[in-house]
Amino acid sequence: MFNSSPITSWEGAEAIFTYADSPLGMAVCFWIMTAMLIVPLVVSYNAEERAEIAHQ
Amino acid sequence: MTPEEMQAAIEALQGLSNTNLEIFYYWCTAIMILIHAGFLMYEMGASRVKHSLASGTKNILAFAFMIPTFYMFGWLIYLSMWQGFTYDPVWGEFGLPMSAIMGPNMADQATGVFWGAFTLFACTTASILSGAVIERIRMASFVVLAVILGSVVWNLAASWGWHPAGWLVTEYGYHDSVASGVVHTISGFFALGVLINLGPRIGKFNADGSANIIRGHSLPMTITGLMLIVVGFFGFIGACVLYNYGVGGGWTNIYGGPTTLSAYLFNTLMGVAGGIIGCYACTRDPFWMMSGALCGVISVAAGLDLWYPPLAFAIAFAGGFLGPWAAKQIEKMGIDDAVGAVAVHGVCGVWGLLAVGIFLGGYPGFSSWDGFEIPPINMTGQLIGAAVMIATGFIPGYVLSWIFNKLGVLRAGDGVQRDGMDNELEGVAYPEEIRSQ
Repeated sequence: MFNSSPITSWEGAEAIFTYADSPLGMAVCFWIMTAMLIVPLVVSYNAEERAEIAHQ
Repeated sequence: MTPEEMQAAIEALQGLSNTNLEIFYYWCTAIMILIHAGFLMYEMGASRVKHSLASGTKNILAFAFMIPTFYMFGWLIYLSMWQGFTYDPVWGEFGLPMSAIMGPNMADQATGVFWGAFTLFACTTASILSGAVIERIRMASFVVLAVILGSVVWNLAASWGWHPAGWLVTEYGYHDSVASGVVHTISGFFALGVLINLGPRIGKFNADGSANIIRGHSLPMTITGLMLIVVGFFGFIGACVLYNYGVGGGWTNIYGGPTTLSAYLFNTLMGVAGGIIGCYACTRDPFWMMSGALCGVISVAAGLDLWYPPLAFAIAFAGGFLGPWAAKQIEKMGIDDAVGAVAVHGVCGVWGLLAVGIFLGGYPGFSSWDGFEIPPINMTGQLIGAAVMIATGFIPGYVLSWIFNKLGVLRAGDGVQRDGMDNELEGVAYPEEIRSQ
């Protein structure tokens, strides 16, 4: 569905990871990963706040 | 043999060499994961039942968060900040997360395995903090502190003192071959900074300032975990040598100085044995006996490539005495370090750096594999290095935890601590309703 291949042939191929030829594709993946690190911390923080109230 | 055949043979040998390199670091990294299995058992066993899952969860999250954050900026900091606080774009290019070599690349068999090994070093650094703060730190704040320690602070110190171009190395001859300073001193003193703001567990200290012993729920689990950490150290230590860059080929230490794997094995084993026996002699406590293995290895780590093995044993034995003694002094100061991380890693790390200055003076300088001239080992360099490591660990740990404390997000409330940190999580550690005291 997504054309993510940076190569058209294995002959002489070097960087073969998805979106290796697309700075935009890499940037999108990078920032999605960043968000996926922040969101669980926010979830954890909120859960801890609720626990503080419940165990007062 | 024709010149063409000769060239083909050379290229084949180079290919074999690259493959050997990949295999070696791949398995060192895999073995290093045992350090985290060990820390997991160690911390859960050292926690009371009502906190045991939270302690384990905290440890696992530190491991998991370290990997992407080390990819995002940790590796870049290590490679590029060797001059101090100045970014070097030449080295930095190799660590940028959108570089062509930071992913599967048929022309590069080195970056992935080196990045992986350093990521596991970072995980170890964060795990050291994890044990000190069990039973009262809030999870989200801990994860942020762990990321700062593992993916920013220690990388900076490693770039200065564990990099062939690092300013501590090239200007002062700082020698820390297996990271007594850049991993253990840094994380031990970072933990100290956090502990000062975090405060003790409820019930640790009496009104008159005397301390109570808070026993974990499973000493056998803790001891077994410590032994697993020792096993994992062999992966850690293996990944601290470089392959095929030395004089005439072969192994070098992290700076490019000639060494052998045999040197590391002689002295690692002596360090483990000396630390265990030293701690046993002064405490007769099984917990401290196995922590003594860590005290011993950390005490000899900085000079692991050069010790005469009986001297390594003696230095580790002294570290085995120093660890429990330092832990008592820290407790007398009203600081609750649940597993003795500051003493074992911070204090023994400093001892390891100073031991190099005391006993290894006179070893000649050499050219690092990047062409930098490294001065001979000397006491001044070790003292400066130790001071830099203490400050670089302590200051960010103290400042960040002070901010978190002011924001009210550092320490779990008394109610949560009383009822158990595990109440915030799904799952029950022991369904048979085993209760802690």
